Amino acid sequence: MQIKEILFDWRLHLAVLIITVIAEMIGIISLPIGIGSILLLPLLYAFVMGLLINPNVIPAARAIMTEREVRAATPMIVIAIMPFIAKFGTIIGPSMQTIIDAGPALILQELGNLGTVVLAFPVAVLLLKMGRESIGATFSVAREPNIAIIADKYGLKSQEGAGVMGVYVIGTLFGTFIFAILASVLATTGLFSIEALAMACGIGSGSMMAACSGALASAVPEMKDQILALAGASNLLTYATGMYLCVFVSLPLTEKLYDWLAPKTPAGE
Amino acid sequence: MSDAETFEEPTTDGKFGLAEHGAALIVVSLIALVGNTVATENTLPQGLVGLIILWVMCMIGLLMTEYIPLKLPSVAWISLVGILATLPWMPGSAWIVDKVSHVNFLTLATPCLAYAGIAISRREIDIAKTSGWKIAVVAVLVMTGTYVGSALVAQMFL
Repeated sequence: MQIKEILFDWRLHLAVLIITVIAEMIGIISLPIGIGSILLLPLLYAFVMGLLINPNVIPAARAIMTEREVRAATPMIVIAIMPFIAKFGTIIGPSMQTIIDAGPALILQELGNLGTVVLAFPVAVLLLKMGRESIGATFSVAREPNIAIIADKYGLKSQEGAGVMGVYVIGTLFGTFIFAILASVLATTGLFSIEALAMACGIGSGSMMAACSGALASAVPEMKDQILALAGASNLLTYATGMYLCVFVSLPLTEKLYDWLAPKTPAGE
Repeated sequence: MSDAETFEEPTTDGKFGLAEHGAALIVVSLIALVGNTVATENTLPQGLVGLIILWVMCMIGLLMTEYIPLKLPSVAWISLVGILATLPWMPGSAWIVDKVSHVNFLTLATPCLAYAGIAISRREIDIAKTSGWKIAVVAVLVMTGTYVGSALVAQMFL
């Protein structure tokens, strides 16, 4: 697709402008549930409104948006996150002392990303009886760098490839929702310190981090700057270390666990 | 399925050069400016100055991505530029912090998610359908696992 076509696709940009204005006018809505409260953020409405005018989701939307707009929108996602990331940097800078103080916790919490394996792998293999796709599905949060690792090692047409793509897609569709809800619910339960929850927001995706830290900051407004600084620092750290953790620790670990836990005569092979 | 062969990494910037990035960033910044004016008390000129500074930061970050031979995504460089420019001991940092404080960070994420919603392709919907409910259950556990796992470890060392 030509770059000019993407830049001058006024229907697309106008739609995004209208969606942004509507979403911001609605503002943040807080829904109390038993153990905490769920915060609905403008970015979540924006995502839903985007889906509602997506012709692949709602065929009737073909009247306003076509496949052309859908394809032009993809490269715009990364561009649109850039000013957000720059702004994030300007929150991290002034809070450098907070980050240095949290240093050891910040670095070690990267290991917590292995929670994907701990929580999801046994369920995938033992309960849902999934095959080798459970390796691709559970070794990471399945963002782009992780897809690259699987593509490189097994190919995307392999079972492992199907696993990583499946989680990637579900993450793309619902990841912002899931993280925003996890963050706002956990923040109001008081089980974890807000600093710990902020650091955990630094998963390897800009929009998920945005939803996660946004929900946290809205839940605890008096700690906003600290939350954003820690989430941003953790996100940056994930870019630096995440790949190595996956290649040298989590992927070999899931491989080993699979040999160990999977039924000896796998169904469907 | 031959689809897998043509799978394009969604973050690939493709043939976007520096000039195109700059132009696309202006489009995005204008949308963000309107959003910022609607969502916050900040005036249009205040938002504009803030967004111009953020735009410059993005461009410096993109320049670094192109010329520094370290394989880091552009967002990592942009983040670094933002951090370095606002470190307390950096000259002029107070001025920058003051100017960008008129741009709301959450509002900046709103257009991004709107594009993301529009960008969902038939292929992605097909994958979600064929992989079925099992992969959806696993995906939710994967995301919960990484979040709770990281929070747990952080909590232990704080």
